[in-house]
Amino acid sequence: MSVDKVKLPADADAGKGGLIGTLKAMPKRVYHSVFRFRPLPKTHMERSQAVAANFFLHIHSAKTTERALKFRTTLGLGLISLYLFIILVVSGVFLMFYYVPSPDAAYDRMLDLRGAVFFGTFLRNLHRWSAHAMVAVVFAHMVRVFLTGAHKAPREFNWVVGTALALMTLLLSFTGYLLPWDQLAYWAIVVGTAIAGYAPVIGEDLRFILLGDYTVGGEALLRFYVLHVVVLPTVLTLGIGLHFWRIRKDGGLARPDTDEE
Amino acid sequence: MSDEFDRPEHDRFPSGSSGKTYGLMCTVDADAPAVEAKPEKSVQSWPAAFIRELLLFIVVVLVLSLIALYFDAPLEEPANALHPPNPAKAPWYFLGLQEMVGYDAFWGGIGIPGILAGLAMLAPYLERKKGGEGVWFHSSRILPNLIFITLFVTLGVLTVIGTLFRGQNWAFIVPW
Repeated sequence: MSVDKVKLPADADAGKGGLIGTLKAMPKRVYHSVFRFRPLPKTHMERSQAVAANFFLHIHSAKTTERALKFRTTLGLGLISLYLFIILVVSGVFLMFYYVPSPDAAYDRMLDLRGAVFFGTFLRNLHRWSAHAMVAVVFAHMVRVFLTGAHKAPREFNWVVGTALALMTLLLSFTGYLLPWDQLAYWAIVVGTAIAGYAPVIGEDLRFILLGDYTVGGEALLRFYVLHVVVLPTVLTLGIGLHFWRIRKDGGLARPDTDEE
Repeated sequence: MSDEFDRPEHDRFPSGSSGKTYGLMCTVDADAPAVEAKPEKSVQSWPAAFIRELLLFIVVVLVLSLIALYFDAPLEEPANALHPPNPAKAPWYFLGLQEMVGYDAFWGGIGIPGILAGLAMLAPYLERKKGGEGVWFHSSRILPNLIFITLFVTLGVLTVIGTLFRGQNWAFIVPW
């Protein structure tokens, strides 16, 4: 399709009415340049096209099986994991405006969040509880998938992607745990990274790479911060995209071949 | 703006210079994917799926907001490398590991968790027998489900013990 041949809906009136006509036609032209369909599509055809033509919706197929929509099929756990991740990204970005990853400043910033920042306590609470919830819900999702046999062929690889996403969720939560720089954070990371040190041969080196030092200090705080706000969220976002794309490519949600239930 | 949309589809989106609105179809000698498949009951994703997804999103945001309003995140004294708390505990999801480390450092912290992670990753390749896809607790999958539940519950119990039942010097305590 050559671009110059595509007629915009408003082209019938193009050039009429001079400047006033151009201005009058503008709202419609702008709307049509962004959306190809009316705000609330009515016919089956329009509704299918509305899904396919929208960047954010086209991860879905135009039609969904009634089975997949039943709550008991999935318990909504995968979607809840995604929603918690979205809440975490949004609240996390707001928290970044107030946070300084330095042993001298981090804890004072926590006190500022509590005492001086508008909605600061709410933001931090929301971020922390959502993080705990995400770890729990991701593992509940894993249990659901296994107990419904949804990890079996042809969905094996998406299960592997999922387990990698679960491990990354743990790492995200763990790296965030250090950031408040209070006693709870500090000693949890001391204990947690000590476990990494128990690995044979590479254990001590692994721990050193993680902490940037032999003890938990400023270097560890900076490393955990960069991993927490840049590296892990980026990788997790890409992984989630792959995970969702594979659901479609593997034939949608797992379902029995026959009508047996 | 409804007048624009009420025009026929091909009028709004001309398919090319010729204005052709038909395509050439042909038949091929091959297995069709739909042979012997029963028609599936399906509905338009718009609005059936999207309205449910939006509702779930609103519920999740509301629930977490309410929790965040009424329960404050913990904040203890500033970090002090010279004053370790007794006991010092990892985040709750690692307390199962920490509990196992209490018995054996290598096997508890690295060996068993590594084997479990490996088993989890390989699960769909280990379980080759077909059947039971998409069905809760399918009768043909009793053994895999039993193994999975046993491992998960064991890890869960260890996590609860590590979280609630361990006090000073990692001694067993009763939290009430």
